Amino acid sequence: MTQPSSNPRISRTKQDPRLEDLRSRLAEAEETIRAIYSGEVDAVVVNSPSGPQVYALEGSDHPYRVMVERMHEGTVTLDHSRVILYANPQFAAMMGTVSESVTGAEFDRFLVSADASAFSALVEAAAAGGHSSGELYVRSADGTMVPVRLSVTPLDSAGMQNLCVVVSDLREHRRNEAILREERLSRLILEQAAEAIVVIDPQGTIVRRSESATSLARRPVLMMSFDQVFPLIASGSPFDTARIFSAAHAGEKISGVEVSMPQPDGNPSALLVSASPLSSDGNELLGCVITLTEITGRKRAEEALASQAAELAQSNSDLQQFAYSASHDLREPLRQLAVFSELLQAKYQDQLADGASLLIQHAVDSAHRMEGLLKDLLAYTQAADAPQGAAASTDSNDVVRKTLPIFEARIAESGGRVDCEPLPVLAVHEVHLTQLFQNLIGNALKYRSQDPPRIRISAEQIGGMWRLCVSDNGIGIDPAYQGQVFGLFQRLHGGGKYSGSGIGLAICQKIVQRYGGRIWVESELDRGSRFLFTLPEKKNETR
Amino acid sequence: MKRDSLERLSLLVVEDSPADVFLVKEAMKEEGLGCQMEVADDGEKAIRILDDVDAGSQEVPNLLLVDLNVPRQSGTQVLERLRRSPRCGNTPVVMMSTSDTAVERKRAFDLGATEYFCKPSSLAEFMQLGKLVRRLLEQHNAAA
Repeated sequence: MTQPSSNPRISRTKQDPRLEDLRSRLAEAEETIRAIYSGEVDAVVVNSPSGPQVYALEGSDHPYRVMVERMHEGTVTLDHSRVILYANPQFAAMMGTVSESVTGAEFDRFLVSADASAFSALVEAAAAGGHSSGELYVRSADGTMVPVRLSVTPLDSAGMQNLCVVVSDLREHRRNEAILREERLSRLILEQAAEAIVVIDPQGTIVRRSESATSLARRPVLMMSFDQVFPLIASGSPFDTARIFSAAHAGEKISGVEVSMPQPDGNPSALLVSASPLSSDGNELLGCVITLTEITGRKRAEEALASQAAELAQSNSDLQQFAYSASHDLREPLRQLAVFSELLQAKYQDQLADGASLLIQHAVDSAHRMEGLLKDLLAYTQAADAPQGAAASTDSNDVVRKTLPIFEARIAESGGRVDCEPLPVLAVHEVHLTQLFQNLIGNALKYRSQDPPRIRISAEQIGGMWRLCVSDNGIGIDPAYQGQVFGLFQRLHGGGKYSGSGIGLAICQKIVQRYGGRIWVESELDRGSRFLFTLPEKKNETR
Repeated sequence: MKRDSLERLSLLVVEDSPADVFLVKEAMKEEGLGCQMEVADDGEKAIRILDDVDAGSQEVPNLLLVDLNVPRQSGTQVLERLRRSPRCGNTPVVMMSTSDTAVERKRAFDLGATEYFCKPSSLAEFMQLGKLVRRLLEQHNAAA
C-alpha cells in the first residue's frame, strides 16, 4: 500500500499549526486518491474502533484471479485445519472432479494416505521458513495416483493461519523423463552392441550406428551413404539399400543373408545381413535397421573343420579298407600254410624224423591262431557297419531272450543264473545289440570265480539315453587295467587260461560309440564286475 | 552214372593261386576223379576259353571251379558269361572263396552258382571238395 507524500504545490509559510495539520491531511488524501486512480493501491486499511478493517477496491484483484483460474498448476487455499477454502479448476480437473465438490473438503482427503504425514511436514516447514515444497502423490477420483509437486506458502492475512498450496502435475514430466531414459538406454545398447548395427533413413543415409559398425567399415559411418560404406555383394550382385527397401516394401524378411564385402587387403569379409523396416504408425517407411554379423573367422574355421573332417573320413575309410583287405587277403596264404603243413605231415609221415610231426602241428596251430586273429580283426572292422534295410529299433528284452540259449550249456554246467530286469526299446540295430550282450554275458561266464556265476542285467534311463548294466560275481578286474580292457587285442590273462583274442570288448566299444554312447567298467579284483554302457532310447513315433 | 564216366572228366579251374590249384588236384585225386584239368589264372583267360567253347573249337567242360577273386575279370563275371553260353550255359559251377560272407554267398547263387565252397584251413575239410564235385556231376548227369 502506498503512503501519500506531501503536495509540493502548497507553500510552507508560517501558519496555524492546526491549519498546517489539515493541509497536510488534505495532501495525504489527495495523494491516496491519485494512487487509487493510477491502480497503485489495491486496498485500504482503515483503523476502526473494532480494529483495522481491510477495504479491497472493486476490480483490484481481477488480474490475479484470472491468472490463478487460468494457470497450468492446481492451486488451493486451505484454512488452519486444512479445509479447502478455494480451489482453481485445474486442481479439480487433476482430481477428476469439479471445483464445487472440492471446496469445503479436507485437503488430506486427496492425498495418498502414506503421504499425509509428509504433507504435515511441508506445512510445518512452510510455517517456520515462509515456504516449502516437496514431491508426493495425490489420488484422483478414479483412483489414479498422480505424482505432484506441492509448494506450500502460509497466508497470514488478517491474522488467519491460512495456506496457499500450488499443485504441479508431474505426470508429463515423469513421462518425458522415462522417454529420455529409454532413449538413452537404446542409444547405449546400440552403441555398445557387439554386432555392427546401423539405422538408415529412406535415402539410405546412416543415422545411427553401433561402435562395431564403425570398426567393421574401418571409417566413420554416421551420415554417410550405407551403400558407399558397406559395398555388399550377395551371389555376385550388389546387395544394396535399394534391394533392402524393395524387400521391405514387399514384406519380405531379410534374415541372415550371407554376403561378402571387399576389403583393401584383397580378402573379402564374410558377413550375415539382417534387415528390419522401421515404419510409422501410418505404415510409412521411416528407414531400416540393418545388422551385419562378421563371420569371416567362423567361416574359415568351418571350412578348415569341414576339410579336416573330410580328410579324417577319408583316412578312416582308408584304414577300414586296409584292415579289411589285410584281414581278408592275409587269411589266404595262412590257410594255405596250415593246409600244406598238414599235407606235408600226411604225405611224408614215414620219412619224417621223430618230433617233426609235433613241430608241424605247432606250425598248423599257429597258422590257425593267426587266422582266428584275422577273422576277429575283420569282425572288428565290420562291427559297427549298419545292416542294410534294417531299422535302428530293437527291444533289448528280445535280444537277451534270444542270446541266453547260446550260453545255456555253460550256465547249466556252472550252476549259474542270469537275472534280467525289464529292459527298454533302443534306437540300435538288433545285430549290434546282440553282439553287445553276447560279448558281455559271454565274458561274465568266462571270467567266473569259484562261485556259481550270478549275472544281472538292468537298465536305467538318463535323459534321452539308457544306461544298461551287465554285472557279475566273477574274478573282477584290477582297477589298474580297467582302461585297457576295451583296447584292440588287449588281454589281461596269459598262459591259455582263458581263450579269446581280446577283441570282444573292443567290438562292444566300437558299437556303443557308433550310437554316441559310452562303455566303461566298474570292478575290483575278486569282487565281480559291472559293465555299463549308454545307448539312445527309441522315441515313440507318432503315427 | 557209371564210375567210368567220371574218369574222363574235363574240368575248367579258374584260380590264380598255384597252391590252391594244387590242392584242388589233390582233392580230385583223393576222390578218385580222373580228370583233365584246364586252368585259367585270370578271368579274362577263362572267358576266352568259354568263347572258344561256344565257337566249337574247344570241348565243353563237365564242371567249372571258379575262385571269386581272380585278376582282370572277377569270378562272378566269368559265371555270368558262362550262364549266357549257348553250348555250356547249364554246366555245374562251384564258386570258391577264402571268405565266407552271407553277401558273397548270396550274390554267387543269385548269378547261378551251383555250389559255394569256402576254402578251409584244414586239409581234411579241403579234401571234401572232391566229394562235392562228384555229387554235382552225378546230379547233373542224372538230370541230363
